Amino acid sequence: MSALLKSELRKLIYLRANWLLLLWSGLFAALGTVAPILVLNSDNGPGRGVFSGTETQEGINAVFANAAGGYLFALILGILIMTNEYRHGTAVGTFLVTPKRSTVLVAKLIAASLAGLVIQLFSFLFAITSGFIALTFFEPHAPVPAELLFKVLRASAISGLVLGIVGVGLGALVKNQIAAVTGAVIWTLIVEGLVVAFVESIGKYLPAGAITGLVDVDFGENDFNFSIENYLTPGPATLVLLGYAALFSLIAMRTTLRRDLD
Amino acid sequence: MSSVKIEFKNLSKRYKDVLAVSNFSAQVQSGRVTGFLGPNGAGKSTALRCLLGLVNPTGGSAAVNGGSYSQLQDPIHKVGAVLDSRGFHPGLTAKQNLKIMASASDINFSRIDEVLELVDLASAANKRTKGFSLGMKQRLSLAIAMLGDPEILILDEPANGLDPLGIVWLREFLQKLAGEGRTILVSSHQLAEMQNTVNDVLIINKGVLVAQGTIKEICKGRSLEEAFLELTLRKSA
Ligand SMILES: Nc1ncnc2c1ncn2[C@@H]1O[C@H](COP(=O)(O)OP(=O)(O)OP(=O)(O)O)[C@@H](O)[C@H]1O
Ligand SMILES: [Mg+2]
Repeated sequence: MSALLKSELRKLIYLRANWLLLLWSGLFAALGTVAPILVLNSDNGPGRGVFSGTETQEGINAVFANAAGGYLFALILGILIMTNEYRHGTAVGTFLVTPKRSTVLVAKLIAASLAGLVIQLFSFLFAITSGFIALTFFEPHAPVPAELLFKVLRASAISGLVLGIVGVGLGALVKNQIAAVTGAVIWTLIVEGLVVAFVESIGKYLPAGAITGLVDVDFGENDFNFSIENYLTPGPATLVLLGYAALFSLIAMRTTLRRDLD
Repeated sequence: MSSVKIEFKNLSKRYKDVLAVSNFSAQVQSGRVTGFLGPNGAGKSTALRCLLGLVNPTGGSAAVNGGSYSQLQDPIHKVGAVLDSRGFHPGLTAKQNLKIMASASDINFSRIDEVLELVDLASAANKRTKGFSLGMKQRLSLAIAMLGDPEILILDEPANGLDPLGIVWLREFLQKLAGEGRTILVSSHQLAEMQNTVNDVLIINKGVLVAQGTIKEICKGRSLEEAFLELTLRKSA
């Protein structure tokens, strides 16, 4: 297994597309911290009057919580780790070296959790650094407590680990790279919201709802109009997401992973 | 001392409406080059894919070294394969592709330079494979197959895309490997070339075994091409 894991990590490092994805995750998360700083502090921006500026603690909390926002990239990388094998036909070579396909799946689940973690740690650091730089233009601002950064870091790390795993499970099940990636993104950003609009009670158990529960940091009180209480707390949210990963992987092991390879 | 290294037992594979391989039984002996011949669509690739555990048979079985491929410990140390599909990543270099394979089965990286040398691809080691010609891809596939220094080689049309020089090289390469006591099962359409390369012949047509024997037994004084045409046309008439 350790040899197989090394081989999987090698694939990750060699592919330039993966480094690009890492870069995008950082830029995306940084957009999440920098953009609200600019909006909240502009004199006639839409933020004024509705939300607190960065001179308040609520404003700072809201801005820095977004540093965990690169999680979709961890999910996408997980999907790529699995579906690249089918897209480029390397599955044949991979399964000739390791005929037990479930062993390959497990190695990929582990590799993807590490890769997701790296994505989220990098994008967290990038977003936090960018946020601090942006804040220097808007002195004075409320302090950025270490506890806040720690909470967001924890949310980043766990979401990276877990969503990398979910991505591999989904990729094993769907196999078609474009379908899996666009499906996952559209579901998370659009479809799930529509489903929840009709059946509100199940929302927190659906993937995007669980992700929200996992990455949204609870600061006690906040003046945003959505309430964190509608979502699961990070512990149960993590379990729900791992449950999806296990479900996808188990179904894949009994179906798509067993099929003929051409 | 030759022994049975590969055995197909009543192997069948059905794809929806096509019976690609039908109750196919045959043996391949060690230390010999066995040609696997048949017209387009005869079922050669399908049978080889079943043998390598890539395709699930509908019925029967295919065994290598006495058991199914998926039961082998460290399979690439025992069996090397060249298939008619790309088994490597187009965005990576030849060497990177080999490193991925080697690290998955704990093969020393010094072996990578050896196999690249072996297939005459050392000069393109650091080029991305998406720019490879058909012949270069075929050589890289052979290098991958040789990575684990296997005693059994399963090659699906390895001569495909090779230039005349490459074909001569392949012939000598296969004969040398067989001389070392290895077992080689090789499918091909190039009958004249096969005549000079193989010791034994399996002929399949429409999924069915139509002839099996030494090249002498099959040819009976005719050229392999004549024998092949007669055997495959007679059966399908
Ligand atoms: N994945 C597949 N789905 C459906 N039919 C298939 C599939 N693979 C092969 N076939 C069919 O099975 C039959 C045997 O194909 P196969 O590729 O094994 O032949 P072959 O002897 O290798 O031919 P060639 O010499 O052209 O390579 C053909 O009729 C082919 O159309
Ligand atoms: Mg074929």
